[in-house]
Amino acid sequence: MVVGNPVAFILLAIVAVASALGVVIFRNAVYSMLSLIVNLLMLALFFLMLNAMFVATIQVLIYAGAVMVLFLFVVTMLSPDAGSAGPRDRLRWQWGAGAGLAIILAGSLIVAAVNGSIAQDARTIGADALASQVTAHGNTEAFGLALFHGFSFPFELTALLLVISVLGAVVLGRRFAGRE
Amino acid sequence: MSLSAYLIVSALLFTIGAVGVLVRRNPLVMFMSIELMLNAVNLSFMAFSRFLDSVDGWIFVFLVLTVAAAEVVVGLAIIVAIFRTRREIDVDELSSLKG
Repeated sequence: MVVGNPVAFILLAIVAVASALGVVIFRNAVYSMLSLIVNLLMLALFFLMLNAMFVATIQVLIYAGAVMVLFLFVVTMLSPDAGSAGPRDRLRWQWGAGAGLAIILAGSLIVAAVNGSIAQDARTIGADALASQVTAHGNTEAFGLALFHGFSFPFELTALLLVISVLGAVVLGRRFAGRE
Repeated sequence: MSLSAYLIVSALLFTIGAVGVLVRRNPLVMFMSIELMLNAVNLSFMAFSRFLDSVDGWIFVFLVLTVAAAEVVVGLAIIVAIFRTRREIDVDELSSLKG
């Protein structure tokens, strides 16, 4: 089965991979950051293509919005030229080693994606039930039903995790501020 | 497009993120690469969810988003703390555990 317009898919894929490469290649951390935002927006468009409007919305709001603003704040706070590599490039060989490992990892992942049993199964199953559920209940309601019926305990654990992380950030910030 | 196409894009993004963590020495860029990897996994979750006909993948993406937000908050706090004490954030220079 075919999901999404092939032309749009290929365009999105090209922009997503190019912006991901930009994150790794740009010397300046601010450019990496902006490239990452482009990548996150492309992923949101992928989610739209997969019929998940709600998740695409929270991807844009939370990820490309809140998390990336936090990132940009810290990147600009810690001297914008911190990302530019100076002459101290002690491990020159690591780009070559990284590229070799990348080829191995990408090759094995792609082979697994193309030949995996789940991929084979998914070819035979239609996606009509999800589509009908979404059209019957609406996108957000389908998400909410699944979240609060099957996954309410993980959802509560999420709250605990967020509290712990907020406390951790406060403790880290306070202790070092007091020491100065 | 078929499920394999989505998974291939996801695999490429994940690989680029992994290489970013390996070769960059700025911890902020390493963090961004980790975000790339998390998002690549999100993309395959969403693709599986669509093709296997279930909403469960959306929940996983939601949870991954939350964990990523928590990770970013704590990680950036640690990076800022390191920067305050050492005035530099190159991971090659941070080789000593002594405070």
